Amino acid sequence: MLSYTTLEEDKLLRVDFKGDLDIEATELFQQELLKKMEEFQSVNLNLKEVPFVDSSGMGLLIELVRTLNEQEISVKISNVTEEVFEVFELLQLPEILGKDVFV
Amino acid sequence: MKSIVSKGRNVKEAIQLGLDLLKATVDDVHVEIIDQGSKGFLGIGGKPATVRLTKEQEHAQKDAFDQIEKALLEQTVDENTEKVAAFIKDQTAEVVTSQWTEGSQLEGKAWVKNGKLYGRPSATQFPIITIGKGVQVYKNDILIDKETLLITGSHEYTIRTINEEQSTRWSIEVDDQRLRVLLAITPGYRIERSIHDIEPSEHIELVAAEHRVVDNTLTYADVMDRLDNLRIKQGFHQDAILQALDTLEEHTFEIATGQKPKPGKDGWFEVLVDVDIKYNYDGNEKGRIDFKELKTIPSVDRGQIIGLVHPPVPGQPGTTVTNEPLPAKQTYPIVLNLGDGVEGVDNKVVAIKSGRPHVEKRGQLVRVSLLPKLLHRGNVDLSTGNIHFSGDVEVLGEIQNGMKVEADGDILAHSTIFSAHLVTSGAIIAKKNVVGSELSAGKNNMLIVELGHQLHLIHQQLDKMLVVIKQLMASNAFKSSDLQANGLQPLIRLLMERKFKSFSGLIKKYSDVIHGADKFLESDEWKEVAVTLNRFFLSLAPNRISLATLDELLLKINQLYEWSITPVEPNAHITVLSVQNSRLYSSGDIYVIGSGSVNTKIHAGGLLKINGIARGGDLYGKSGVEIHEVGAENSHATTFISVPADQRIRIDKVMEGTVIKIGHVKYRFDTPRHAVHAYLKDDDIAFV
Repeated sequence: MLSYTTLEEDKLLRVDFKGDLDIEATELFQQELLKKMEEFQSVNLNLKEVPFVDSSGMGLLIELVRTLNEQEISVKISNVTEEVFEVFELLQLPEILGKDVFV
Repeated sequence: MKSIVSKGRNVKEAIQLGLDLLKATVDDVHVEIIDQGSKGFLGIGGKPATVRLTKEQEHAQKDAFDQIEKALLEQTVDENTEKVAAFIKDQTAEVVTSQWTEGSQLEGKAWVKNGKLYGRPSATQFPIITIGKGVQVYKNDILIDKETLLITGSHEYTIRTINEEQSTRWSIEVDDQRLRVLLAITPGYRIERSIHDIEPSEHIELVAAEHRVVDNTLTYADVMDRLDNLRIKQGFHQDAILQALDTLEEHTFEIATGQKPKPGKDGWFEVLVDVDIKYNYDGNEKGRIDFKELKTIPSVDRGQIIGLVHPPVPGQPGTTVTNEPLPAKQTYPIVLNLGDGVEGVDNKVVAIKSGRPHVEKRGQLVRVSLLPKLLHRGNVDLSTGNIHFSGDVEVLGEIQNGMKVEADGDILAHSTIFSAHLVTSGAIIAKKNVVGSELSAGKNNMLIVELGHQLHLIHQQLDKMLVVIKQLMASNAFKSSDLQANGLQPLIRLLMERKFKSFSGLIKKYSDVIHGADKFLESDEWKEVAVTLNRFFLSLAPNRISLATLDELLLKINQLYEWSITPVEPNAHITVLSVQNSRLYSSGDIYVIGSGSVNTKIHAGGLLKINGIARGGDLYGKSGVEIHEVGAENSHATTFISVPADQRIRIDKVMEGTVIKIGHVKYRFDTPRHAVHAYLKDDDIAFV
């Protein structure tokens, strides 16, 4: 089950995730996180402790980045593990979200 | 012989220092002044004097040796802190020696004797040495890595020649089918180099003499060991192995061969009756075409055997070099599709009524039927209505005023076709003029080729998509838990987001063609595939898709594609007397056997042949175009003729303004020309 902690720095919100980014994260993303993120100008999603992803989880990630971008909130995704990034690359997530999103 | 080089403020001091080092007197040594030295100006730029002392008595050597070593450790001479440079020569490391004194003609020259390099710079000339391949020269034990060397003075030069050695390299490879074992060998060799004597010269080239010895070290045991490792058990060619052991050149030997499987034969349908309509296009001796004699229509009577079904003959399996059976390619029986008027009895197809036998072959699919024939004696016009008939249609009168004749056999029109529309999957023969009409023969096939092409593109994408899905499932960080619950749909959506962005467009395009062509399609399979593709990939409704269902879809798409590219026999064709302001479309050949064509668009899936004149219009022949005469004098109408890149255009007489196109290359005739025979050569149109 995915859990997270947040760190607020001025107008930047950093979210450190822990656990698998999968279909079970749907509620977490859509109900809690989105609302919280909308209060900031930029958001950094730290995936350092996310060892596994599934297709629904990646769908959520894309949806989240798009929703925030529409509201002109900049999103960065950081510390993606090598294995997870391999999966992202197979699905061309860097091309979908923009290469500069991944830091 | 031992010699030392000694330096001092002047010659006298240099000699004295040298003698002290050698513990010798002037009488014992040979003195050679290498450099007189110079005082310089105000002590700046001065050069020490250099001399060489050579002690000639053998017994003094060891003693001198020790002394020099000792001296080198202890003694520092001269206010310029110039060290006494002392070089000891051993027997192999050779230098400027006492032989220098043999003559002043050696001044400024270098030479090689007995494998040793000598050189003697003069006041005006430094000898130049060019160092050749495989030769190394060491200056004071340091390798010179330049190709040219100046001998500037009292240094020790050593020549070394490099021998090259390459061991025998070999490898054994077995092909994928394990039918051939190849031994590739490059025998080893040794190149021995030596330096010959070189006469004294201001410039000498140190070129080594090379002696090359080939040495094939491969042994029979080596080969057998490797073959054993590869588990190769049979089909050896001992003579080839022995040849490989002896060869002195790089070569590849086939040292074992398996037995190829003997191919079998697919089942086939043997036609026992005449099914082809015979045409006589050449005309009689006057060059006129007699339509009464043009065509012979075959027919069969009730009970007659139309053909025999032959079962497939299986092939003989082969054996690999590893002694495993290699199955022959599987053979398939024909798939017999019996249409109207025929019945199957054992392996025979029998007519149960009389009519024209029709046999259509597409790969292993054979369709046999007896075509009924409709004979229409009058005109086809508003009073009779359109004709739709599944079989042959023969019209004795005219076809006119926007009327339509549709058949799935042959259409034979005895009179003029004016402003009409003829469609059939068979042939169309018009004995009189065709004006302002549209004739389409074998349309069904053209459609299937188009659909097949689109399915092929879809197949490629879907195949790639499956590969990516399988790759993802194998990724360590990919969790497939939700795939079990929801199927592949979320993943497919992600893939179509970017990586397979064009996929939805391909499906839409295919669906559109299906939608428009619905009623022309014999089989529902084309439509079913379109429905499935839409449901799986375009629909937003939840849908459980598994890998197995995708694999199944892929297989089905491929079958349809394979079927679409299998040529139909016999091909449809169109034969008309002459044609004006019309459109002719045939999946096979088109013949215009009378006066010719005017302002007509003609598309032939086979050969296009016009015996008369072609004036204006757009003419295409997939298997080439042959026309007697193209264009007209003082005519502004352009006639455009095209063929694929690998085909030819032949015209007996072409008028200006005609444009031909072969592949993508166009050519315009600005002057009339006879006996044109054009083809594509090096991306340009050439004439025979």
